[in-house]
Amino acid sequence: MAAYEKRRAAAAPAPAAGSGPAEPLGAAAGGEPGGEAEFLLRSGVTAMVREALLKVLEARPEEPVSFLADYFERLVLGGPGAAEAAAELPAPPQRLARALWYVRLAHHSHRTAFNNNISTAYEVLGASGRRRRPGVDGRLYSELLRRICQLGAAPQEVAAALLRRVQCRDHEAVPFDVFRYGVLTCFVLLEFVAKAHTLYDVLDGGTGAADKRVCQAVLHTLEEALGGSDFSVPVRYLEAGSKLGPDCLALAMDRALQERKLSASMSRDEFLKKATALFVAKVKPVD
Amino acid sequence: MSGAAGPGRAPLPCAARAAAALQLPGGAEAARPGVAVIDLRFPRGGAADVHEIVFKNFYTAFLSVRVQRAGPPGPRRWVTCLRDHRLMPSPHTEEGSQDYFSLRHHQMLCDMEQVTALRFILRQPSPAWLHFSIEELQSPQKDFPSWLSQLTPPEQPASPHGELPDPEKVSTEVQQMWVLTEVIRARQAAARIGRFDVDGCYDVNLLSYT
Repeated sequence: MAAYEKRRAAAAPAPAAGSGPAEPLGAAAGGEPGGEAEFLLRSGVTAMVREALLKVLEARPEEPVSFLADYFERLVLGGPGAAEAAAELPAPPQRLARALWYVRLAHHSHRTAFNNNISTAYEVLGASGRRRRPGVDGRLYSELLRRICQLGAAPQEVAAALLRRVQCRDHEAVPFDVFRYGVLTCFVLLEFVAKAHTLYDVLDGGTGAADKRVCQAVLHTLEEALGGSDFSVPVRYLEAGSKLGPDCLALAMDRALQERKLSASMSRDEFLKKATALFVAKVKPVD
Repeated sequence: MSGAAGPGRAPLPCAARAAAALQLPGGAEAARPGVAVIDLRFPRGGAADVHEIVFKNFYTAFLSVRVQRAGPPGPRRWVTCLRDHRLMPSPHTEEGSQDYFSLRHHQMLCDMEQVTALRFILRQPSPAWLHFSIEELQSPQKDFPSWLSQLTPPEQPASPHGELPDPEKVSTEVQQMWVLTEVIRARQAAARIGRFDVDGCYDVNLLSYT
């Protein structure tokens, strides 16, 4: 809510103060630089533009113009509108769309920005209305997760497998921690799927069909590195680094190719399914 | 007072015999010669590398250690690896009489690889101490993970086998996938929803009274 109040405060003086300095400004058409800077500051334009720039820097969109247009549109919608008509809250689909927009702004590895965006999205989703109580319920949460998986082009069964672990039932109230955990898991899954695609591209060497033995050898090495020991974190990283180095992988692939099995090929979907199964197995279910 | 393995350390898997005092042949009375011997032998003729020997002293002044190694067939020789190692600075006094000692392989005079038997020769010249021995004899084995000891890969793939995908690229991608999975594995939702159902069902009959 703090973000909304900031924007409301910025927007409110704008219509009030706008009419005031308009005349003196018109009178001093010659323009003292002090008058102009003061006007900008008083009307809150400085703060607004600074916030907009910060958001652009956080999100780094590919089309900054449309991003900014979107941003200002939401600002207008969320500003004076919310202050006046609390009863006219946007319907769940619009709230979902807005929450989705917020959540996609920062990459999950930019932890602070990502967390801020998630809190804003949680507030948007959980805003109370005339007919409903505040808070995010399981239905909205599951719907949001489903949309996140959809826009990342994750295969249907993969997304379903993950959601089964992370989902909440319709009637349950979702605390913020669980919300954050679910959203983060979805985004990490999307990145994982992207990496698996790239890996398949490398393994098939441009032919479009990767050798089944090689794929299985690589996946098996990854599974071993993941499965591994319960040592503390530095040791696990060392161990994984040594098991997943180019030499060991080359050895594993070479050994796989020397097996006298019929060389079948593994399709991209099957490879994705097996790789993501390794990932989903490590996701701790929500309870 | 025989050599026994203490808890918490990988012991020497061996059969120890009790400290036997040296006797003069033909002696009728039990003399107190001040020399005792403890023999350790690996079961079924097995052999192992001995990196370190750890024990607790009990009033032994000097210690000598001899090893029998798994060498060429024939009468096996005993090799002295530690000669008159002083455990107590003064045999008549208490100092060092109940201390813990650790003998590393670099203190030994010979190689301690593939040892089949160990002989500890204890000497206590002082008449002040009637009984002396060493206790809690152990040889901790080093537990090295195999991947750490293989810092250079044992063999390179002989020939690239034609269609082997570029290992560097594969390795990059796989490592990134590993990191992503680790990120998720380390996290857990701190808050819990608190479900109490049994297999998705809140039937009253299934709930327990406790």
